[in-house]
Amino acid sequence: MKTLAWWLIRAQFRTRRAATLLSMLAIALGVALGYAIHLINAAALADFARAMQTVQGDPDAVIAARDSAGSVALASINDIARDPAVMVIAPVIETRVRVDQARLLVRLIGIDVFSAAAVMPRLLPRHSERALTGSIFDGGVYASPALRDKLGLQDGAPVTLRRGDQQWSTRIAGDLPAAGADDLLLVADIAWVQEHFGPDDAVSEGRVRLSPDTDPARWRATLTPQLPAGLLLRAADDDNARVSNLSRAYRVNLNVLALVALLTGAFLVFATQLTAVAQRSTQFALLGVLGLSPRMRLLQVLLEGLAIGVPGALLGLGLGYALALAFTQLLGGDLGGGYFATSAPLLVPQPLPALAFLALGCGASLAGACYPAYLNRMQPLAQALKTGFAQRPGAARAPHTRLWLPSLLALAALALTQLPPLFELPLAGYAAIALVLVIGISCAPVVTQYVFGYLARPGLPAPQQIALQNVAQAPLMAQVAASGLIVSFALTASMVIMVSSFRVAVDHWLDAVLPAPLYLRSKATPLPQELLQALLRPDAPFARIERTAHASLTIDPQRPNVALMVREIERGNPGARLPFTGAVMTPPSDDLVVVWISEPLHEIYGIQPGQTLRLPLLGGAVEVFVGGVWRDYSRQFGALVISRDDYLRLGGDFQPTDLALWPLPADAAGEAAGAWLAPYTSRYALELADAAEIRQLSLSIFDKSFAVTYALEAAAMLIGLFGLAVTLAASVWLRAGELATLGALGFSRRMLSRAVMLEGALIAAVGLLIGLACGIAIAAVLTQVVNPQAFHWRMPLDVPWSAVVFGALATLAAAVVASHYAARQATRLPVAQVLASAQ
Amino acid sequence: MRRRIFLATPLLLPTQLLAAAAAAAASPSSLVYPPVVPGVRLVFPRDHGAHPNFRTEWWYVTGALQTSPSGSADIGFQLTFFRSRPGTAEALHSPLAASQMLFAHAALTLPGDRLQHAERAARANLGASFSSLDCDVAIGAWRIYRQDTRSGELLHLQVHSPQFSYDFTLTPSQPLLLQGDGGYSRKGHGPQLASYYVSWPQLQVAGTLVRDGRRQVVSGRAWFDHEWSTALLGDNAVGWDWLGINLFDGGAVMAFRMRDAAGETLYAHATWRDAAGHLRQFASAAVSFAPLRRWVSPRNGASYPVELEIRFGEYRLRTRPLLDDQELSTRRPTPVVYWEGLVTVEGSFSGRGYLEMTGYAGRLRVADHGAGVGAA
Repeated sequence: MKTLAWWLIRAQFRTRRAATLLSMLAIALGVALGYAIHLINAAALADFARAMQTVQGDPDAVIAARDSAGSVALASINDIARDPAVMVIAPVIETRVRVDQARLLVRLIGIDVFSAAAVMPRLLPRHSERALTGSIFDGGVYASPALRDKLGLQDGAPVTLRRGDQQWSTRIAGDLPAAGADDLLLVADIAWVQEHFGPDDAVSEGRVRLSPDTDPARWRATLTPQLPAGLLLRAADDDNARVSNLSRAYRVNLNVLALVALLTGAFLVFATQLTAVAQRSTQFALLGVLGLSPRMRLLQVLLEGLAIGVPGALLGLGLGYALALAFTQLLGGDLGGGYFATSAPLLVPQPLPALAFLALGCGASLAGACYPAYLNRMQPLAQALKTGFAQRPGAARAPHTRLWLPSLLALAALALTQLPPLFELPLAGYAAIALVLVIGISCAPVVTQYVFGYLARPGLPAPQQIALQNVAQAPLMAQVAASGLIVSFALTASMVIMVSSFRVAVDHWLDAVLPAPLYLRSKATPLPQELLQALLRPDAPFARIERTAHASLTIDPQRPNVALMVREIERGNPGARLPFTGAVMTPPSDDLVVVWISEPLHEIYGIQPGQTLRLPLLGGAVEVFVGGVWRDYSRQFGALVISRDDYLRLGGDFQPTDLALWPLPADAAGEAAGAWLAPYTSRYALELADAAEIRQLSLSIFDKSFAVTYALEAAAMLIGLFGLAVTLAASVWLRAGELATLGALGFSRRMLSRAVMLEGALIAAVGLLIGLACGIAIAAVLTQVVNPQAFHWRMPLDVPWSAVVFGALATLAAAVVASHYAARQATRLPVAQVLASAQ
Repeated sequence: MRRRIFLATPLLLPTQLLAAAAAAAASPSSLVYPPVVPGVRLVFPRDHGAHPNFRTEWWYVTGALQTSPSGSADIGFQLTFFRSRPGTAEALHSPLAASQMLFAHAALTLPGDRLQHAERAARANLGASFSSLDCDVAIGAWRIYRQDTRSGELLHLQVHSPQFSYDFTLTPSQPLLLQGDGGYSRKGHGPQLASYYVSWPQLQVAGTLVRDGRRQVVSGRAWFDHEWSTALLGDNAVGWDWLGINLFDGGAVMAFRMRDAAGETLYAHATWRDAAGHLRQFASAAVSFAPLRRWVSPRNGASYPVELEIRFGEYRLRTRPLLDDQELSTRRPTPVVYWEGLVTVEGSFSGRGYLEMTGYAGRLRVADHGAGVGAA
């Protein structure tokens, strides 16, 4: 039995070498993409966690301010230190500084070596003999090896650290031997950092190591309610959750794309095996008569599917590793998503995920082989021996009875789109997309039969009529060929429509958020007072200046921080600067502070416009009124805007980090403005960009982040076309007798070839039409359900008709070319032999 | 006396920083510490508090504990807080400036067991504090403080470490003992080598001791020292032997000697106060230390004279350790190996107290610093 199975597999691979290889490749592609995404993400997360471990150590709890303007009072640190359950609390003051004139912003971490030794040993500095100071307590900064290389810092060399107007002239006193290869860090004594950069009588955070007999969770639970407003107690698990939340939705979306590749791979296996079963029906019937049980016939086809799946998946694993390697070198660990700003992370393949992806590849291949295997089992032997493959064993159902299924599925899909996200992922949305594809495929035979049955009226030239009737009456093969195109074109069209809708929306949004011609920013450190003062003088060549201060706050410790922007914005007319998605509400009282929240903030935390809530602001909890929701495509984890006046009223210190500048009307090109700003930008390493540059940069980042998507679309289309060619060729082979008869009746080779090509074109047309309809439906699900649920932003559906129609026509042309391959088979049939064997 | 070494050391962990510490100690700082001079009248409780202008200071409590009144085998305990002003960050205005640092050591000697040890270190304003008005010094949950109550004054000791914790109340049964000349205690032949030194012997201990998760009620006798200084060690000193004994008859004996590299005595002193409160001081020439039995540390080969004969005037004492291995090594502020533990004394007097021996595990690096400081 084994020998027979092996012999059959070998014969199958030999006769359908190209088809088998391509099926393998498709499976390999799906596995490779999924595995590569997994590898890259695992590496990036590990990298991120390691960098975090260096800086933060491994504390049992971290006490920190909820907003970036806040800090932890020394009194709070000392209170916690006195708790008998606390072994040590390691306070840090962390800020970002520029080293001399370098543009790079570097983390400067002020530590207390006594306590840091217990909690963050990797931050401990090594004092250089060439340092002029006696020890870390006498001042001096210690630079990580990566930073020393990058900026060419030498022990004993003088450096000036700047943050806005604050500066500290000191010396490099040594290095950080335990810092990672990529860590760009400066470490100094906490008192010296406080002396020069603040905060007075407070620190950025305290990291707690508890005594071994204390239960950290219980300790945190006890302490949390006693904390002053504005402070939070974070567990190390929270940090992990935060890191994972950072890129989760993006990652899952990429994985779904990989599943699409697997799906198309499964379809190819389906097409190949189906044709293989059809072509070998006589062979199998003979074997059946000789004693091969139906169960064995079923198993044989499944085995053949596995024989495609296993090498395909293995190849995919290797390919995935290579892909991951290439991607991390080219794009970094975030696949162009911009979540982790590190250099190429180290890939460490683990056996379990590799096995999982191997199983996934084999599973896809087996799934593809299922229906052909079933058909093979159900073949009536006698008939198969006589007339060959029966496309529909058992009674064929009438077309109208098959309409209830798609209608029911459509209803289910609609219901799925109304469901909320599961585990914060749009899983129901994905299911709806899968259903749309199933609907498209199950519609195909009905549509084919109706359309072509109607078209195949008498009176047409014979080749055309034969082609039409053939399509209308041999629905299985047509269905196989069409469904490949439906799936691939639907997915491609939906992605094109989604990306285009997104791009159009981003484009509009950029118009709204970039009202000024010029922008100046200092990367989150306060702008120098010297510049701010100069801008107030009458000789400053600007018609208008708007200042913004960037900060952040923590609403939920398990989620990434929310951006806070303090802007010079009119309380009464925020719509002039923010692209609101709905109505702007005015607060019931003028005394109430108003914030305008971004769409992601609204979606993630369920905050509604018009409600009041308590926000962790300026070290306390502040009652604010939510004045509206504005569209934001850049800060996925939420942002909120507060007016400068309100911020000052709350006692905030407005330290602008960004400027929007309107040059004088006479200086439309902004040249005079640029020249006037040049001394400041070079002295303080500020970034000056005009709106067009920012727009271009934003869009290029946008395009880069969809690079993987484009690659997958191309792969899906190729697979679809290939499936068409394979199935057409198979159908030609199946109809060898019929075509030979036609040839004998006087059809020229050209006429036969035309008939086959026309058939291919017609099937492709039906597939593309259904595919387009499905594509639009899927795009609607993507923009209205998946995107809001995964990324928390919405966009209007905008179908790029010209691109879609062009794509459809190009695919149609490709389909004609592909069917030419099948047609050539038809014209090469040895007519006499076929006719003779048909007797 | 060990404490002097630490106090003379301007720097602390981590070990990589030690070289820097040595450099800092060697380079003369512009900082001028107040001198220790005779004739200063000490005022309490103000002088129980810290004297932050001086370079070094410590509060030191040792004692013997019993877990039941029947007088089972003794448990020795020791708790020391050091304050150091190394001359760093003096110019900073930041409240976190590391100009005052605190270190604490706690040890427990269990009969038939090894010595257990825990330590803490902090700058004096970050998770730690000291008072300049009264005895109150703390690092985290570790604390020594004095309290006035209706029935008199009390000292409280609190230590929490993974190995052991304790919470003791110390009730004085005698007045303070001002060492030397009204608290001015000379440490060498040079006039600058001196400290202000206050002892409080015969303190009654009551409290709880927790080890291995087991809580025990304990009682006992303790000895409290408070000493502050700027320069203690002569140029040639490599270590010292020190003894503080609560006598069973209610008296108290304190004796120390500074040793040079050859083990010869550079300077010595002894004090005896009898139960009636009569105080006798013995000058350097009248005091001698002679080793009777040595114990060799299996860890570093250091040879400690765990049994000593000490003579002062017409009196002589012999020490017998509760446990030979009461050697301990601390990391903070610098790695130091020394012997400090509970001993009983017999001879002219009998009692129980603490013996401290330093500079036996090779010439201490800190001693180098000390020399530098002493010369400054």
